[in-house]
Amino acid sequence: MSSTLFDNRKSVIHRLNPVTKLIALLAIIVTVFAIPLWWVAGLIIVLVVVPAAVISGSGGRLLSLSLRILLPIMLVLFIVQGLTFPGGKTIIWQWGIIDVTSEGLLFALGIGSRIIVLVLASILLVLTTHPGDLMSALTERGMSPKFAYIISSTLQLIPAFKDRADSILLAQQARGLSLKGNPLRRIKIMLPLLSPLVLGMFTDVEERSTAMEARAFGSTARRTSLIPVADSMVQRIARWLFIVLALAAVATPILLGLL
Amino acid sequence: MIQLDDVSYAYPDTDHFVLSHMNLSIPAGSVTGIVGASGAGKTTLAKILSGFIPHVDGGELSGTVVVDGVTIAEASLADAVSHVGLVIQSPFNQISGAKFTVREELAFGLENLGVPRDEMAVRVAEVADLLGITGLLDRSPYALSGGQQQLVAIASMIIMRTPVLVMDEPTSQLDPGGTRMVFDVMSSLRDSGITLVIFEHKLELLREHADVVHVLADHQLIAHGPSRAMLADPRMEEWGIGSTRFTAAASEARTKKLLPADVELPVSIEDAATVFASFASSKGA
Repeated sequence: MSSTLFDNRKSVIHRLNPVTKLIALLAIIVTVFAIPLWWVAGLIIVLVVVPAAVISGSGGRLLSLSLRILLPIMLVLFIVQGLTFPGGKTIIWQWGIIDVTSEGLLFALGIGSRIIVLVLASILLVLTTHPGDLMSALTERGMSPKFAYIISSTLQLIPAFKDRADSILLAQQARGLSLKGNPLRRIKIMLPLLSPLVLGMFTDVEERSTAMEARAFGSTARRTSLIPVADSMVQRIARWLFIVLALAAVATPILLGLL
Repeated sequence: MIQLDDVSYAYPDTDHFVLSHMNLSIPAGSVTGIVGASGAGKTTLAKILSGFIPHVDGGELSGTVVVDGVTIAEASLADAVSHVGLVIQSPFNQISGAKFTVREELAFGLENLGVPRDEMAVRVAEVADLLGITGLLDRSPYALSGGQQQLVAIASMIIMRTPVLVMDEPTSQLDPGGTRMVFDVMSSLRDSGITLVIFEHKLELLREHADVVHVLADHQLIAHGPSRAMLADPRMEEWGIGSTRFTAAASEARTKKLLPADVELPVSIEDAATVFASFASSKGA
């Protein structure tokens, strides 16, 4: 049981150092938000994200997960911006009092394309990177183990606590609690169940901190990692290249007077 | 190895002493069982022995606690835990939550200590083999049953190789086979020189594996003795600890004069077999 979305495969993308992928993601995000042109985001999708997804073999899952997130966002974005964009003058479709303007749609396209890149690239990172490897790689590079722990444990413990909530609910249902009725009634019934869950969580946190200290979590020794994180000269160069590209992306609009 | 002199303890914001004027002496390389009714203070004593009281829980601790030559109150927690390990009651909470496979989970403590990767891999394989969990190494710790999690929790402390290991009801979620295996592992740990303190309700297994058993009641360690003599003591019922079915049956037989009054009461099935054999031979059966 874990909330990780990691898609366990052996592709080149999967085998890349997690920090390389993380820096690539950050560079992509910086680029699309720094350059306010929708076709730049489009190019990144076509030339970077789609090939990476195909090579990784996780394209199907990427598509399915992304659609679930992006469809409602895009729908709302295009409807709201298409109809209410304040500078919209060029009406391309009209129905009663509803005016869809091309300025509004272009604005939505600009924002939407960036969100699409952000979501696609982020999900691809999550699908192709084991969270444990990411934490090991970041800890190796000096990230605080306590911070790494917060991220990892969140991924692991939230489903574990959900299981506990389900058990409490089941126990109450076994004693005759009925969850039928309208949503308001259900919320009213569920509220008292929070108390054993929250109190139990406090006890768990205290016990877990004891167990962690017993396993030298408070040690000041330089930490090692059981799982080796692959790296290479090519990747090290690539990481610097991504950083340079991101900086160039920030500088370009200023130099070209786009901002 | 472990020495408690006049130790008393009250949790923060209370003036109620959970443990009062307690003395305890445990020799190196021994297995000591500590029994007590629920609420007697077993977990508190386990935390005192392992340094979490007073370093984490706070409260008022008086007296002296020395473990493996280290005066716990004067040492840092990091120093204390390098001498004494603690297996807590709940395996769910013993698991760090930071690791995605059992293999990494077992190595968690070693990573914190900066143990080299090769040595970690060897120690993980050894402890997994010892506890029969090699087949679980690539699974998520949270995808395991309660019993499997308990084995992982125990393994995660054994791998630390502390000279003293305190275990608070380490087999509470294990089936009989798993329980016996854990006790067998404890015996092999004792053979390798580790001092074990086990807080446990399974009296038959304590009889078999503990050298000495202490009884915790009324906020104090009120009695101790060799495992068989202590666990068969008729006062165990009064102290709320109970007795094994073998002790209860033999005691009943002795009351009904079916057994001689001076017979040493059995605790385990092996004891019972010995009592029965000697009784049968005395009757010329």
